Amino acid sequence: MTTSTRIKGFILIGLLPALLLYSFFVIVPIFWSAYYGFFDWKGLGSAKFIGLTNYVEVFNDPIFWTGFKNNMLIVAASVFGQVPIAMILALLLTRASLFQRMIRASIFMPMVLSSVVVGIIWGYIYHPQIGVLNFVLDATGLEMIKKVWLSDPSVSMYAIMVPIIWNYIGPYMIIFIAALQNTSPEINDAASLDGVGPVRKLFQVTLPMIWDTIKVVIVLCISGSLKAFDLIYVMTGGGPAHTTEVLASYMYNSTFNVYRFGYGSAISTAIIILSLILILGSQYLMKRDYR
Amino acid sequence: MKKTLTFAIMTAFIVSIIGCSSGNKEEASGKPAASGATETKAPEKVKLSLWHNYTGDDLRAQTMRATLEQFQKDNPNIELDVQGIPPDGYRARLKTVAAANEMPDLFVMWPGVMTREFVGGELLQPINELLDSKPEWKEGFLPNSFTEFTVDEKTYGAPMALSPTSILYYNKTIFDEHNVQPPKTWDDLMNLVDTFKKAKITPIALGNKAAWVAQSSILSSLADRVTGTEWFLKAAAGDGAKFTDPEFVEALKHLQQLSDAKAFQDGFNSIDNTQMEQMFAQGKAAMMIDGGWALTNLAANASPEALAAMRATVLPSIPGGKGNPDSLSGVVGTGLGLSKKVEGARKDAAFKLIYAMANPEVQKKTLEGNQLVSYKVELDTSKVTPIFAEVYKLLGTVTTTPVYDGRLSSAVADVVNNGLQELLMGGNPEAIAKKIQAAHEKELAGSK
Repeated sequence: MTTSTRIKGFILIGLLPALLLYSFFVIVPIFWSAYYGFFDWKGLGSAKFIGLTNYVEVFNDPIFWTGFKNNMLIVAASVFGQVPIAMILALLLTRASLFQRMIRASIFMPMVLSSVVVGIIWGYIYHPQIGVLNFVLDATGLEMIKKVWLSDPSVSMYAIMVPIIWNYIGPYMIIFIAALQNTSPEINDAASLDGVGPVRKLFQVTLPMIWDTIKVVIVLCISGSLKAFDLIYVMTGGGPAHTTEVLASYMYNSTFNVYRFGYGSAISTAIIILSLILILGSQYLMKRDYR
Repeated sequence: MKKTLTFAIMTAFIVSIIGCSSGNKEEASGKPAASGATETKAPEKVKLSLWHNYTGDDLRAQTMRATLEQFQKDNPNIELDVQGIPPDGYRARLKTVAAANEMPDLFVMWPGVMTREFVGGELLQPINELLDSKPEWKEGFLPNSFTEFTVDEKTYGAPMALSPTSILYYNKTIFDEHNVQPPKTWDDLMNLVDTFKKAKITPIALGNKAAWVAQSSILSSLADRVTGTEWFLKAAAGDGAKFTDPEFVEALKHLQQLSDAKAFQDGFNSIDNTQMEQMFAQGKAAMMIDGGWALTNLAANASPEALAAMRATVLPSIPGGKGNPDSLSGVVGTGLGLSKKVEGARKDAAFKLIYAMANPEVQKKTLEGNQLVSYKVELDTSKVTPIFAEVYKLLGTVTTTPVYDGRLSSAVADVVNNGLQELLMGGNPEAIAKKIQAAHEKELAGSK
């Protein structure tokens, strides 16, 4: 009994510094910003208490919902794009031959680049006059699908998703590879002895064994997508006319371009609430897993 | 994971900016205030912090940095803590420290809205004392130079530049090849657009990714041609005119005519101002509508032949318009703002620096660096590019009208900017005018 309390005490002391830092830099600011949301504040001079007006405006603001819709598109692209692609790559690249290590490194490479660099590179790929993409389409006789990729609202959001997926596949692939290497070989061997084919083995043996990892990756994917900002900010700035705005870029613009600090805080609080709902929702859905 | 990290770093960065500047401030204000009180006469060493955005490689920035170094040498008893911040992020950082009430002692500040907002936040102190002590210097500025730096008859800055925002630049070589003249009327312009379209040349280069270009460079002048200046001032004051008025909708329709006629290159909403200037400089477009800031960039980047082919004029007149066609929209440039917290010996030193950065000699050097100034200076045309000399001459013959984002609050200007992007993609002018008016009314109601 005394040992267990001592261990608990030790855990508590061990956790304390991280907990303090975390609450000071994450938890407290969340409440702080929720509090600012009740004010009409231009960032200068005195703030005026206006109750729930900002929050009501946020939920009635069409641009906020455009941003939310775009975020959902990115979430979908990440969960149904990044996760399967990362999984396939992980399955193909579990072994560590020189060639496979090279491919792995090159898939991971965009992660090491600053997202500003990635944004500028893709901005040039999509450039309306000198862009590589339109040039390639021209050269291969596919002129009819040439587009002004980042200015045309009907395609711009999808054009942005490609670099987002490309950029963040690396870490998910590494997580999957780690999980695959941790599965016990005995079960695999047993399945083989029982004459299980490779497809069936994948769905009934391998995937169930790493299901927990998949869940974690999906949660990471959702929360990462809700925070999508840097690439979009560099590539389009949320424009033209808010068509590629996401929640974070709208929050940034409202706060630091338009100087409505109160309204920006209300938006960020709304983002937190929506994110929590989504994460909890996805957790609930995945509870009923197929193990 | 990466994103979380980026965010953490950004947050840490902002915190450190605020943290650092506050640290400097205490250090800077604590020491001299204590010693300055006992003996003011002795050449006490004083510290001043200064923020500027002269980080570029253009002649203007080089001149200003050299001026600062010279000042430092001439005044060993004044210790400057200078921070150069790249222009793109400058406003945001200044606003951030303003929100935290941790302003540097001196900082490059814009006239108009920014000055009024800072005065409203009680962050500035007037520099009338300095201006009145040097009447000759004060007289040397062009008329109305101080208007946008003045709030309640107190002046808070002396302009170090002049920014006409909507000059119609055109490429003489291309015009000659097609035997056409610069447009005098709106119909001329539309005909030119047709001619160049047929010749497969982009008529007008536009880089509207950062959304202010169409507003500041095109609409400010174009709308003035249609509505007249008086209407805009009334609408901005919310007094007897509204953005839903037919004149303003008419102005929006004129702008839309340009995009409907495909006057701009494809994808103009996804390239930026610099890329548009490059397009024009490389002769890929016959015209561009840009501000005076293009001159320094062109001087630094365009080839001598390209520069020689460039000409400048004002936007064409519009039939039935109420505005004076011999005008272009513009604002005086930035000046140094002085924080309210600077007192005593530090204030004298600050005045000295403000003068050193905007005195006749520096204004002349700035002008020779291909940057227009709001100061009476004889221009030696051999020292500047031909296009600069032409713009300088043009400015002598026209009057200046207000710029939209110089008068409207940031929130309304943002709605105008996004509205114009929408308009140029085929949006409905009436609906956009309504959005602008709604945002403007909200802003007016909030400030009362």
